Amino acid sequence: MIKKSRWTIAILAVLSGTLSLGEAAEIPTIDEVLQTELRNGGVDREPLSPIDDLAYLRRVSVDLIGRIPTGAEIDEYMAWPAKVRRQQVVEKLLHHERFTDRWTVFFADLLRLRSNAEGGSALIAYVHKAVEDGMPYDELARRLISSGGKAGSVPEVGFILGDDADPMALAGITSQVFMGVRISCAQCHDHPFDKWTQKDFYGFAAYFGKTRRQERRINDRILGVYTTELPQSTVMWPPEGAVDDEDRRPMPPVFPISFVKEESPYRPLARLNQLREKSETPEPVASNEPSLDDLLAGAAKKANRQTAGSLGALDVFDEAKSDVREIDLKAAAYRNSELRAKLAELVTDPRNPYFSQSFVNRVWAELLGQGFVEPLDDFSDNNPASHPETLAFLADEFVANGFDLRQLVKMIVLSDAYRRSRADGLPEPDRLALERNFQAAPMRRMISEVLYDSIITAGHLFTVKHPEGQNLKTVWQESRMTKKPAGDDSINLAALESKPNANPAMSKTMTGPSAMTAKQSGYDFEKAIEIDFDAVLADAKAEDAIEVEQMMVKTPEELEAERLANEMKRQRMGYVDVFTRAIIDDNPTFSTAMRMPSPAPDGHFVRVFGQTDRNELGAERDQSPTMRQALMILNGQLTNEAARVGELEPIYPLISGKSPNLNAAITLAYREILTRKPTEADLETGREVIGLAETPQQGLADLRWVLLNSHEFRFLP
Amino acid sequence: MSRGCADYRMSRRAMLGATGATLLGLQVRHLLAYAGTDGEQKAEHVILFWNGGGMSHIDTWDPKPGRPTAGEFLPIDTSAPGVQISEIFPELSKQMHHAALIRSIAGTQGAHGQATYNLQTSYTQTPNIRHPGIGSVVTHEKPKIGDLPAFVSISGRAPKATYLGQRCEAYFVPQPGAQDPYLAFPEGITQTRGDRRLEILSKYNQRYASNKKAAALTATETAISDAVTLMRSPALEAFELNTVPTTTLNRYGDTTFGRGALLAKRLVETGVRFVQVNRGGFDTHSNNFPAMRGHGQAMDAALASLIADLHESGMLQKTLIIMLSEFGRTPKINMNAGRDHWPNVFSCFLAGGGIQGGQVIGSSDADGFDPHDRPVQVADLHATICHSLGIDPDKEVLTPLQRPMKLVDNGTPVAELFS
Repeated sequence: MIKKSRWTIAILAVLSGTLSLGEAAEIPTIDEVLQTELRNGGVDREPLSPIDDLAYLRRVSVDLIGRIPTGAEIDEYMAWPAKVRRQQVVEKLLHHERFTDRWTVFFADLLRLRSNAEGGSALIAYVHKAVEDGMPYDELARRLISSGGKAGSVPEVGFILGDDADPMALAGITSQVFMGVRISCAQCHDHPFDKWTQKDFYGFAAYFGKTRRQERRINDRILGVYTTELPQSTVMWPPEGAVDDEDRRPMPPVFPISFVKEESPYRPLARLNQLREKSETPEPVASNEPSLDDLLAGAAKKANRQTAGSLGALDVFDEAKSDVREIDLKAAAYRNSELRAKLAELVTDPRNPYFSQSFVNRVWAELLGQGFVEPLDDFSDNNPASHPETLAFLADEFVANGFDLRQLVKMIVLSDAYRRSRADGLPEPDRLALERNFQAAPMRRMISEVLYDSIITAGHLFTVKHPEGQNLKTVWQESRMTKKPAGDDSINLAALESKPNANPAMSKTMTGPSAMTAKQSGYDFEKAIEIDFDAVLADAKAEDAIEVEQMMVKTPEELEAERLANEMKRQRMGYVDVFTRAIIDDNPTFSTAMRMPSPAPDGHFVRVFGQTDRNELGAERDQSPTMRQALMILNGQLTNEAARVGELEPIYPLISGKSPNLNAAITLAYREILTRKPTEADLETGREVIGLAETPQQGLADLRWVLLNSHEFRFLP
Repeated sequence: MSRGCADYRMSRRAMLGATGATLLGLQVRHLLAYAGTDGEQKAEHVILFWNGGGMSHIDTWDPKPGRPTAGEFLPIDTSAPGVQISEIFPELSKQMHHAALIRSIAGTQGAHGQATYNLQTSYTQTPNIRHPGIGSVVTHEKPKIGDLPAFVSISGRAPKATYLGQRCEAYFVPQPGAQDPYLAFPEGITQTRGDRRLEILSKYNQRYASNKKAAALTATETAISDAVTLMRSPALEAFELNTVPTTTLNRYGDTTFGRGALLAKRLVETGVRFVQVNRGGFDTHSNNFPAMRGHGQAMDAALASLIADLHESGMLQKTLIIMLSEFGRTPKINMNAGRDHWPNVFSCFLAGGGIQGGQVIGSSDADGFDPHDRPVQVADLHATICHSLGIDPDKEVLTPLQRPMKLVDNGTPVAELFS
């Protein structure tokens, strides 16, 4: 059925004279494929018209770089000739540094990346780098599935260690995340609605059966967590409890997915081969050097003997240290997993339709609000794709283009399907039918990080917007201060005053005396602390070298003595909570939510607006509204500060002075916040709103607050 | 629930293969347990005290006088004849005729994370799915009363609502009496100006939504109107403890825990369905006894006053109080005068909510190592909470992936508590 339709497309292509003389048929556009599929499926309805160019700019900026466009970006875009403006802006956004940030968030959701998991920060930084460098998706997946080593210094191993290298968990995760196959349901029983048997699951899990999570500890200190490979698999068949334990045998690994046998008409496999021949890079080869484990084990043995006096004065630690330095920490220090390397090849094989289709389905859904297969990771005979030919075509093109994310995104956002307007006001069945066939755009809300960053953008809060010293105010801060050591409990009393009654909001720009760190203020759930991903990767390697050194040059006894000394020091320190009065310059700036540790703490703005805790497999963002969201955005510091008019903003001259230009100010507010021109009615309401306030600046702030809180701001055009 | 419905369920279950008469009898009892007999008064609210870290059972609810595992505390008599508890609860001992103890919880998890998950959700933790906490389950099943959120968590976080949806999440109060900055307009925005902003916003949103008929917009309007209602609600006063007379605060023991208990009382009286009061510091691997004496001091006055006050106002019958911890602690006292993790048997404290006071369910063996009789599973505790409120613990809800999940992981209510 699928093949026949594909041929239909090819024949159509021949009839319309677009077949090239080469081997492959001329590649149609995604819109042509979708259109053909819809027509063949009996859909005779015409799609809705495309959105206008400004709405397109807003939509594509939000989707590609995770924020609304700035005033300057709007001007630049509109100055380009209408014919090329969309192509031009897409090119620009694909290579914007925020594209990397935004699509790292996409991968973080897909791969369940967690900063606080073992090696989690390094893994996020690694994925960020992979997106930045345009690492092919199959390459990324292979590295995540197959690598071994120490959390942090081998950043990609965080994927295996994030779930404690548990074979059963990893089997479920790998199949669902990378192939959209819910084989984990078959862990306890044959899948209720699908073809997977429990034995399939065990065969799949067996690829992870030799991998174990290992901790290197010295005297209760964890000096590192890493993967290691056992000689024998721990995945046994039949399952525990089904038969006597002595009748259970190691399960041989079996890959349960069969590959497509024939090349499709546009020859994606051949094109991939051609592409890769041009730019082939050699795979890293596992070395036969002794593993770090072996060396460490040897050193520990020697150390024990030395402390027992049997090795006399021989300096084994210096010896071990030089041994360790000789091995390449990154590539060869740990035993590599042959089984997982094999699995990685199978999963990412270009002939594995699940691998490419499940990924393009997710990217399509991220950009259009709805996948061909829903839930996104439930590919099954019982849950067929809504438009299988379009999905297969998109997946084939993804393969042919070398599994390149940017090319895939580009293909989608330049399609007509992406540009459809919403079916506002149509009766529900009509609207749903249009949306299901990608002939109309569904109502889609910005994801939380994007909403957060868009408020910052609209409110000019990435940089200061008030002149220095203009917003000085006195606040009371509760701070934690270090007591002086050696019995001197005195603190600087001049800095202390009695506890105030008010609980003022605080600015983050003012830091108190250097010995103090401010405790949480009321609005901490709206702060984002930006991480330097490059520094994370660099630190992880530096730390590793130090740790190895510590392990080698110090005996366990020395380390214990050091620990005790530190403990003593800590006990002598002591802290005291003090209230201090401080004069602060209330001129806050905010950092992007895309680069903060994630998932954010429970209760943070981005969690409240739908970021998941990335624990549960297959959890999708909950985009439904809640009361907490409303409270946080109505009464939050972020929206209020974004609305406040700063003297350094372009809008300020329009609203200050004796005769403010209200229409111009309103027009700019609409441009910066909603990416559109105000209508006559908008202008009239805007003037009214400004007129109700005490000053025009306050009035404009009220209007901007309303626009930032409006449906129109958070739902895409 | 009508009798017809219960009969239908019974016959359906019988058809499904409840073969023996005994089994059928059990089922009937189970069914009646949650269906309730006609006219039976059901609880409306729950106060869950969550003692994080694993609270020693021997030093609290299950003393072992004269045994090598007894530790430093002596048992004391209580207002419930024959029921003794630890000496660290002198005031609470006078309220034990309202309370019940279960001394035979058979836990299975010995690590904090997994055990906390198990005790708070009734399910075993797996990577494939996250289960909601019991507070979210109750919030899902019992409609909100009044303006305040249905579920409030004090001095710590409650588990997430996961597949029950964001509406069943707990409203978080970091410390009893703490101001929520988001319930008032931001600093510098006067009441008049804030109200005006809301009014204009409402008009803008109506204008935008009027021609769209989108469910997402209607739901957003509802969320905003819920928020504004809460901001303006006089019921918010329940959260404020600075107007409470000092004598009352002192009666609860002027501690964070005491204020938490007092806030919980004020909240259930204002209609809140489920209040979780969190306290940590029970992971007493060393110096167990001074630590437990300290905990006793904080908990004793608070629990005693809470029970007395709810009883006096007639709310005790409608409010189930339950105190849980992720596991008990080793009967054996370790080298550091501490006790370590012990899931094999531990205890829990319950009062109100239709529970027959003055009784003890089950027992541990002589030294508190294992259940001696009437072992109670963790899920049974959750089923008991559901039963008290008239919720069917076996009711299935669908996860977003359309997987049916029971509200409670195969628990049976501890029926004796209610007889």
